Amino acid sequence: MKKNSLPLLLAALAAACLFSLAAGPAGLEPDIIWNLRLPRTLAALAVGAGLGLAGALFQGALKNPLSDPYILGTSAGATAAAVLCFMAGIERTSPLFFLAVFAGAFGATFLSYWLARLAGRLSDAALVLAGVAVSAFLSALVMLTLTASRERSFSLFYFVLGGLYPSEPGVLAASALIIAACGALALARWRALDAMALGAESAYHLGVNPERERILFFTFACASTSAAVALGGTIGFVGLMTPHIVRLLTGPSARTLLPAAALGGAALLAAADAAGRTLFPPSEIPAGVVMALAGAPFFMWLLWKSARGRA
Amino acid sequence: MPALKVSGLTFAYNGGPLIRELSFDLRPGDFMCVLGPNGSGKSTLLKLLTGFIKPAAGSVRLGGEDTSALRPERLARLAAYVASETATPYDFSVRELTLLGRTARAGFWRGYSAEDGAAADKALEETGITRLAGRSVNTLSTGERQLVFIAQALAQEAKVLLLDEPTSHLDLKYKSGIMELLSRLAGKGLAVAAVLHEPALAVFGCNKALILRGAGAYSFGSAAEMLAPAHLAAAYGVPPTSPLLPK
Repeated sequence: MKKNSLPLLLAALAAACLFSLAAGPAGLEPDIIWNLRLPRTLAALAVGAGLGLAGALFQGALKNPLSDPYILGTSAGATAAAVLCFMAGIERTSPLFFLAVFAGAFGATFLSYWLARLAGRLSDAALVLAGVAVSAFLSALVMLTLTASRERSFSLFYFVLGGLYPSEPGVLAASALIIAACGALALARWRALDAMALGAESAYHLGVNPERERILFFTFACASTSAAVALGGTIGFVGLMTPHIVRLLTGPSARTLLPAAALGGAALLAAADAAGRTLFPPSEIPAGVVMALAGAPFFMWLLWKSARGRA
Repeated sequence: MPALKVSGLTFAYNGGPLIRELSFDLRPGDFMCVLGPNGSGKSTLLKLLTGFIKPAAGSVRLGGEDTSALRPERLARLAAYVASETATPYDFSVRELTLLGRTARAGFWRGYSAEDGAAADKALEETGITRLAGRSVNTLSTGERQLVFIAQALAQEAKVLLLDEPTSHLDLKYKSGIMELLSRLAGKGLAVAAVLHEPALAVFGCNKALILRGAGAYSFGSAAEMLAPAHLAAAYGVPPTSPLLPK
């Protein structure tokens, strides 16, 4: 890691936390900070860390700087499964809920990956296209479900939009634990992830089994995304942007990139959520909308950059 | 004991045989060029040798070990492979990439040992790119980048070095520089096999040659014998008087 990058990241994280604890129309009442803003800040930190980590894992394992859980359809798969669980009456605190959400995330990711591979060589563009197709289909399923069941759809609508609304402490703890475990397990294989960032064929010749590592890293990324979605719904672009930003500080090696992406994602989402609360008071902009406003232009810039790199 | 022993290797692609009953062996110090027209299976052969693709029949032995039963981790210690072009979108430094050559020896979790660092530095020195150690691989020229991936392969400390068109896309200076480097490495006891696009490059110290003619036909022998103009002309389907053939 380059010198001073850890203090810099921690300072950004602390600033984002303070912003998130202080921001809002209700002022600085201790009761509000303690009971409302603190749980929400903690949720933003957990969701941001989970998505940042998942983005770094996908970008490495696929050797594709355009990938993240939102673009690959992972988030859409998790959201669709979560909505189905709500409809079926499975509570968010139930382990069955997490299992279903993970299955949705994993299934959607492998479907995108498989579709992209059908074209033969796995290209960056094919993967993005396949992810868009899978996401669009799953989002349509979710909208269909929401439209068909008018009664409960209002709270579900906010969930699908992506926002950090009051959640039960049990869900927060479970999600944070899953994300931390995924981070630790992935970090223990940092060198394999670096080898994968040179492509599957290079990884094999360096002594890594690319099929096995792909499944492992997809599993960690999907579990981490599922935990984030269970807590905050569909929030895009955190996973895409964070690794690109923190790589400037840490360099590309997973050994420093993975922890930095988790810290950076936490800071980014906490700041985005706080910004959503302060931009147009008294109305509140969901964190997912704030991230899309910032993230979509970033994605366009990445596309432009990669097109120029190839020319 | 041969460093590399291939017996009865057979591989079919899209129905037809690409490689049929191929047998040859390389000893430490041998420098073999693999020649042949486009699509004759040269690149496929290298990937069969490393076990990246599996043959329909036959066996490959590296240092006496049958590769069909080995895991990638063990294979990477026995044979190192340099692809014709490796690119990554991420700005790894030259030294980081060279150190990744130690993956099979260092495992996934622990940091690099002093021994790993020494092996990487030695590989950088042998390839003459020590001065580039701190640079991002994406700021290098094609020739410099090729040297980085050769350094990465050398850091693996395998006894067999396989290269797929290591000189394609390079200018004359890098072409001769890389061929001289490979010849020098063979002189130090490595068994080197390189797929070459231009037979003329074999004059840089190749002592063996394998010519694949497509549909499973091949000839293997000393470079002097295999690279005779009449022989090459027949293999590539050009007149023996072609100025492109080595003199």
